[in-house]
Amino acid sequence: MARKTPAPPTRQARRVAVLGGNRIPFARAHGAYARASNQDMLTAAIDGLAARYGLSGQQVGEVVAGAVLKHSRDFNLARESVLGSRLAPTTPAYDIQQACGTGLEAAILVANKIALGQIDSGIAGGADTTSDAPIAVSEDLRKILLAANRAKKPVDKLKALAAVRPQHLAPSIPQNGEPRTGMSMGDHMAVTAEQWGITREAQDELAVASHRNLAAAYDRGFLDDLVTPFLGLARDNNLRPDSSVEALAKLKPVFGTGPNATMTAGNSTPLTDGASTVLLASEEWAKAQHLTPLAWFVDGETAAVDYVHGEEGLLMAPAYAVPRLLARNGLTLQDFDYYEIHEAFASTVLTHLKAWEDEEFCTKRLGLDAPLGAIDRTKLNVNGSSLAAGHPFAATGGRILASLAKQLRQKADETGQPVRGLISICAAGGLGVVAILEA
Amino acid sequence: MSGAPGSAEGRRELRFDTAPDLRRIYASALVAGRASSGPLPDVLAVRLEVRADADTVADYARVCGFPVRSTLPLTYPHVLAFPLQTAIMSQREFPLALMGSLHVENVITATRPIGLDEAFDLTVHAENLRPHRRGRQVDLVSEATVAGETVWRGVSTYLSRGEDHPDATTSEPPDLQPLQAVAAGPTWRFAEDVGRRYARVSGDWNPIHVHALTARPLGFPTSIAHGMYSYARVVAALGPRIPDAGVTSHVWFRKPLRLPSTVRLRSEFEANRALSLLSSAKADVQHAIIEHRW
Repeated sequence: MARKTPAPPTRQARRVAVLGGNRIPFARAHGAYARASNQDMLTAAIDGLAARYGLSGQQVGEVVAGAVLKHSRDFNLARESVLGSRLAPTTPAYDIQQACGTGLEAAILVANKIALGQIDSGIAGGADTTSDAPIAVSEDLRKILLAANRAKKPVDKLKALAAVRPQHLAPSIPQNGEPRTGMSMGDHMAVTAEQWGITREAQDELAVASHRNLAAAYDRGFLDDLVTPFLGLARDNNLRPDSSVEALAKLKPVFGTGPNATMTAGNSTPLTDGASTVLLASEEWAKAQHLTPLAWFVDGETAAVDYVHGEEGLLMAPAYAVPRLLARNGLTLQDFDYYEIHEAFASTVLTHLKAWEDEEFCTKRLGLDAPLGAIDRTKLNVNGSSLAAGHPFAATGGRILASLAKQLRQKADETGQPVRGLISICAAGGLGVVAILEA
Repeated sequence: MSGAPGSAEGRRELRFDTAPDLRRIYASALVAGRASSGPLPDVLAVRLEVRADADTVADYARVCGFPVRSTLPLTYPHVLAFPLQTAIMSQREFPLALMGSLHVENVITATRPIGLDEAFDLTVHAENLRPHRRGRQVDLVSEATVAGETVWRGVSTYLSRGEDHPDATTSEPPDLQPLQAVAAGPTWRFAEDVGRRYARVSGDWNPIHVHALTARPLGFPTSIAHGMYSYARVVAALGPRIPDAGVTSHVWFRKPLRLPSTVRLRSEFEANRALSLLSSAKADVQHAIIEHRW
């Protein structure tokens, strides 16, 4: 008779606290941070977090971070940043990359390990630079150089190198485009926005609200313990507090074609450099460190859509991820005090909101019985979002997570009631990452 | 530059609005006669409201291995002070010849890091002319002050070889015994062009560092690495193990580092001290001994 193996002990999932965050101000590309690398920025963000939460010399359970635009020298970026930071050098780390979902996915991974008891604390982060972007040699030249490198005899090396032609020397600069469609993200979004009839006026209004909300958040000191100045910058330099619908209305469309093109540089996020970090931990660890949780990381969900042949819009995945997350947690779309919907483009946010109100989309595409319905727009992106702050791809998740956690804490302390927030982030490759926080 | 009238104590001030051009100073020093035999001139070199150039600091950081960040690397103010040092050492009445002087020791004390966009006043004076076993040595004292507070102080000791003084007292580096148990550490290849790369970011185009052809007339078979470059690499590599504030960094330069070379760093850490040795990869030649205390 086979010997019975004892069942492993059932482990209760632990609550995961968001303790705080730190980021550097986001800078428009080729400006203030033109000389900083992903590693410089991520290290600065980690050091600021370490200083704020007394982590200098301490070993943290794990650091999970990534960058979307990566050099080959960014090998082991998270670990190298830890080694250059004030955290104990015995802190493990690993890299992830999920396009613009990188930062929030990093937080989900850290939270899951904490929930399972595999680690007690962790830092989720991300950095991106479009100023210090990797430039590769052309694919043809790369093949020639590799062949020359493989050649044993100098004469064979020379023979291989003789194949180099002037046109091979043009560098290959990373494009903000989808590899499978050759279309830029903005042009993809322009198709979706037109399909959903998202107006220019609504997009410009959302953009203005983003700038005003972020400016107000800075002015009332909300970002004082979320941001640490870097290289002479104390605020995101894309922020235009005096932005107005009238001024934005003058801009020419930059994505889409024809009279129906609505997306301008004003209602789309600019290329930006920056880095962010968030500290997550178990309740016990937080208590031992005398840190008060801002919010609880409740759950996360990732979805993907098939956008390649146009069946669905490139940036529509969050519209699918959110209902699955709601169903798993027994919630409706209206059960939230705050909504953080990443403003890749103003039209992305408006499309998601419209889709959730649309009967046909909700029943046919999402397989629901009824639409999710409308949200109270005064609860949307109350401290501004990517249109104002900018969007250094992998750094956006951390920016939103820390900012929402703090907003929830303030509201909970103010009202004495439990509060809840939703985060929704779209990403290249037809991806979407969403999460729920409570306080 | 303007020579201000002597102060009450008879001190002469050399004022600079921008950094003096080192290449010009070196060129005139090469043709200048022998150093004077008199006492140290009482000269204070001054640059007010100095602000580091962020791009140049980024270049310096990349060459030396520091991160690009919001504060100046610990060794960077020396780069700004060095032209003022040479301005003093190239004075006609200065008792040591600028060309051929060896940087034998350097002590940096940082009260706090200096912000990248922070303005500070920089002064340099010479003091403590004294005999050395193999000649004479002098301290060039550089101070960076913000609103009257000294935030950074560097003491650079230069040796001019000459008459032997067997009885001269010497500054002994710390005992290297603790490093014997250190089995591993960073190994770096210093390529032949390291001197030129550092010259570009520091402005120190001393011919002994630039190329073998320019080093040979000055008595070196190859070009040699700038001492402050090797030292900066060590400080950068120690990185977060050394505090930013309240730290003293002391380097004793030993044998010149001929280019190209492969070197190895070994360090041992205590609660308030780090001891490092930069040697040749085979550990048979000591290039620099570095001690940090905080």
